[in-house]
Amino acid sequence: MNCRDVERSLIEHEKSGAAGLPAQVQEHVLTCNRCGEFMRALNPSVMADAPAPEILRRLEGTLTAGLRPVRPLAPPRYFYAAFAVIFILIVAAGVYRLGASGISVMSPLQSIAMLCALSASAGLLVYSLVHQMAPGSQHRISPTRLPAAVIGLLALLMAGLFQFQPERDFWGTGLACLRAGGPFALLAAVPFWLLLRRGAGLSPRISGAAAGLLAGLVTTSAQEIYCPILDASHILTWHLGVAVLGASIGFAAGFAGETTGKRLNPAQR
Amino acid sequence: MTSYQQADPEAPAALIGALSPALLRFFRTQDLMSREQADDLLQETWLRIHRVRHTYRPGQPVLPWVYAIARRVRVDGYRRTRRIRAHEIVTEMLPEPRPRFETRNSLPAFETLVAVLPEAQREVVTMLKAAGLSLEEVARATSCTVGAVKQKASRAYERLRRLLQEEKNELP
Repeated sequence: MNCRDVERSLIEHEKSGAAGLPAQVQEHVLTCNRCGEFMRALNPSVMADAPAPEILRRLEGTLTAGLRPVRPLAPPRYFYAAFAVIFILIVAAGVYRLGASGISVMSPLQSIAMLCALSASAGLLVYSLVHQMAPGSQHRISPTRLPAAVIGLLALLMAGLFQFQPERDFWGTGLACLRAGGPFALLAAVPFWLLLRRGAGLSPRISGAAAGLLAGLVTTSAQEIYCPILDASHILTWHLGVAVLGASIGFAAGFAGETTGKRLNPAQR
Repeated sequence: MTSYQQADPEAPAALIGALSPALLRFFRTQDLMSREQADDLLQETWLRIHRVRHTYRPGQPVLPWVYAIARRVRVDGYRRTRRIRAHEIVTEMLPEPRPRFETRNSLPAFETLVAVLPEAQREVVTMLKAAGLSLEEVARATSCTVGAVKQKASRAYERLRRLLQEEKNELP
C-alpha cells in the first residue's frame, strides 16, 4: 500500500467517505503524514457556510406563493417512441413523394450499410436528446461530442462506400437534390422542437445542434433512398451537408434562444 | 421532491433548508466568488428549480438533478459577470496580492485549496467532497461518463497532493 493506492481507493470509495475506506488504506493514512494531511484538507467537515435566514425565508415565500401541482415529465420511452415515429413518418413521406430510385442503383452492401448507419445515428441522437430533456440524466455518450462524432463517422462511411467520380453538373444536380429533400428537414424540425420544449435542456446550443442534426438526417435518409447519384462528393456535399447545415442552424438557434431568453425572462437575468 | 411537484406547501421549505447550505458552498468554491454573488446564484437556482420542477422524474436521484441546474446557473452567472467586466473601464490598477492559502489548523481551507484546479476538476472535487455526491451522481450532474469523472478526480487529487507538499515546503 502506497500513497498512490490511497488516491485510487479514495476515488473508488467516494460515497462512503474516509470511514468506508478499506482497513489497509486507513492504516496507511494513520501512519503516513502526507496522506493524513491530504485527507484532512479534503475533509468537508471543516467547511461551515450557511445561507442567511432572511434569504431562505424569502425563497420559501416566493416558491410557496407560486406553487401549483405539476405533472412529471413522461418516462423516456414515450419520447423515444415519439421521436422515432416522427423520424420514420417524415422519411416515409419523403420516399412516397420522391421515389426510391437510389436504393435500386445501390449494391446490397451499400444500401444495408447506409440505412443501418443512418438509423443508428438517429437512434443515438434521439437517446441523447431525450436524456438532455431531464437535468441530471445519465449520459453514456457525451452529448457535446455526439453530433460531431455522428457527422464524422457518417462522412467516413460515405467516403468509403462510394467512389469519387467526376460529375458533369455538380451544382445543378446538387441544388435539385437539396430542393427536393430540404423541406423534409424543416418539416421534422418543428415537431422535434415541440417535443424538446416539454423538457428543460440545460444547454440549448448542444440540444439545438443535436435536434438540428436529427432533422437534417431525415433529409439525408430520404435523399439516400431517392437520389440515384452514387458519386461520393455529391453524397457528402448535398446529402450529409444538409445534416451538417441542420446541426449548425440548431446550434445557432439554441445560442440565440439562450441569449434572448435571458434578456426577456427577468428570472434568468 | 415528489411532494414539491404535488404542491405540498411544506415541501419548498424542507428542500430549501436541506439543500441550500451545500449549494451555497458549491457556488462559493467555484471561482472563489463573494458571499453576495453566491447568494444571488443560490436564489436564481431555486427559481429555476421551481420553473422546471416537472422535469424531475420520481424515483430518480434528486441531487444530480439539482446540481445539474445549479451548474448551469453558475455557468450563466460566470458569462454574465464576464460580459459586465468587459464593459467596465479600469481607472486605477491596484496591486494584486499574491494568493496564499488561508490556513486553518495548518491546512489550507478547502475553497482556497481547490481554487488552483482547472474548472472541470474543481467542479468534480467540489461535488464529491463539499456536496457529497457519488461518482455516478457527479457524472449525471455534469453530463459526463463515470470514467471521465474518475479521471478528473484522479488528476485533481494528484495535483492537490503536490500543491499541499509544495506549500508545506514553502512554510518557514
